[in-house]
Amino acid sequence: MLQLKMAKQEEKTKNKSFDLVIIGGGPAGLTAGIYAGRARIKTAIIEEMIAGGQSATTEHLENYPGFKNGVGGVELAMMMEEQAKKFGTEVIYDSVVSAKLEGEEKEIHLASSVIKAKSVIIATGATPRRIKAEGSEKFHGKGISYCATCDGALFRDKKIVIVGAGNSAIEEGIFMQRFSDDITFVQDLPYLTAEKILQERIKSYPKTKFYLGAIVKSINGNDKVESVTIKVAKDGSEIDIPADGVFVYIGYSPKTGFFGKELKLNEQGYIPTDENLKTNLDGVYAAGDVRVKDFRQVITAAADGAIAAHSVEKYLENK
Amino acid sequence: MALLSNEDREYLKGLFTGMKRDVNIMLFTTEEKNFCSFCNDIKEILEELKSLSDKIKTHEYSFEKDKSIADEYSVKRGPALVLKADKDLGIKYYGIPAGYEFSSLVEDIVDIGNDTISVDESLVEKVKSIDVPVHLQVFVTHTCPYCPPAVRTAHKFAMLNENIKADMIDSNTFYEYANSYGVQGVPRVVINEKHHFEGALPEEEYLKQILNAIM
Repeated sequence: MLQLKMAKQEEKTKNKSFDLVIIGGGPAGLTAGIYAGRARIKTAIIEEMIAGGQSATTEHLENYPGFKNGVGGVELAMMMEEQAKKFGTEVIYDSVVSAKLEGEEKEIHLASSVIKAKSVIIATGATPRRIKAEGSEKFHGKGISYCATCDGALFRDKKIVIVGAGNSAIEEGIFMQRFSDDITFVQDLPYLTAEKILQERIKSYPKTKFYLGAIVKSINGNDKVESVTIKVAKDGSEIDIPADGVFVYIGYSPKTGFFGKELKLNEQGYIPTDENLKTNLDGVYAAGDVRVKDFRQVITAAADGAIAAHSVEKYLENK
Repeated sequence: MALLSNEDREYLKGLFTGMKRDVNIMLFTTEEKNFCSFCNDIKEILEELKSLSDKIKTHEYSFEKDKSIADEYSVKRGPALVLKADKDLGIKYYGIPAGYEFSSLVEDIVDIGNDTISVDESLVEKVKSIDVPVHLQVFVTHTCPYCPPAVRTAHKFAMLNENIKADMIDSNTFYEYANSYGVQGVPRVVINEKHHFEGALPEEEYLKQILNAIM
């Protein structure tokens, strides 16, 4: 069915000061916005692109409770956004340049203005981790993609290599079947890491090939990608796989680059929190994929959002 | 079947309220059936938009039969949408502005209708000072959330300077055409045929790419 999507910018906000600013409009930020709005906390969500974050590039979510036939990543995010706005939360479409998070009054520097907040929830999420192999810089955006929903249609009937075999990799591999049945997975671990139901489904496509326990050594070609060379761990042998496109799903990097040293991060850049999702700074909380945790899902992000908003409510009450 | 929910329709009505000049949307259909498989959907979108504001006017042409008008607006293929105020602003959509690109279309309409320039103030003069022809082709897919900003920036630059022409091109509809430019990731912005960059760059970087290309 024909879909029309739009980022709905409310009347240019006159408010430059909020009780709570949520950075990031993915499932964590939007859920925090719903809870904070209902707690009558004056709240703004800052989103640089469109509601949904990474979930907006997920074609179809099958494991979010309540939708037995699944729900589109974007559709779910847009419903969450409407819900947050309904309870009075503002959504500002702008990008965050830097933030001053110490002290009673926090400052969020946007591309076009500065807004002040008594508390902050960081829900900036994570971006796909870039592949590091010979040729990976050269072919970035020219055959190497991190978004099958964006670029998949450009590879009709082409030879596809998908790096990774976790949930995202397999889901996108299933999505890509509508464009091509020549799909090869390469995964460093010697087994698939996706949910069993996804494993069953991808194996139902008979032409799909798997190289497990192998790493990508180089991505080769002149003007465009022609092949991927992999190295098999167990015997050190190298195999050349013909490929027109390489889709990469090898994990994520947190979006915490624009925060200063005052915010404590772990070695990978994720934000450690306590069980109430407080960071090392008073009045600053983290929710969703950006924080240190084991299981990054839409539902765990949403749960984080609820908890963080609840913690903010208590923090503001005690001030 | 209505394309927009009542909520969305009310939102758009509000957004279009107070527009001070007419926004003319010219649709060029084509007899090439492969390309026009979405033409009825485009018409439906335009009908919806027209019903939301009396400032939005739509006009339908045939790329083949109304050749002289197509030429006048430098329309190279169909289906195409040309957005203009009284005069041509150099803003086009090749293919259907659906999915995420509906956002671009709506924002373009608001800018044209209000006669506002939403380019960052510090860049306006630099964009206006470009005195050679610049053709921006922004290749997108409808399922790419990163693409509308790339389209919008191109269209905003075109609104500012009549030397700049900016097209959105749906890589799905115009697959072969996209292929001929070697498009393998979207958004890809092609500048004057020869130069290109990938990704939705911020306005300032975007402008730098254009300035480098015309040096």
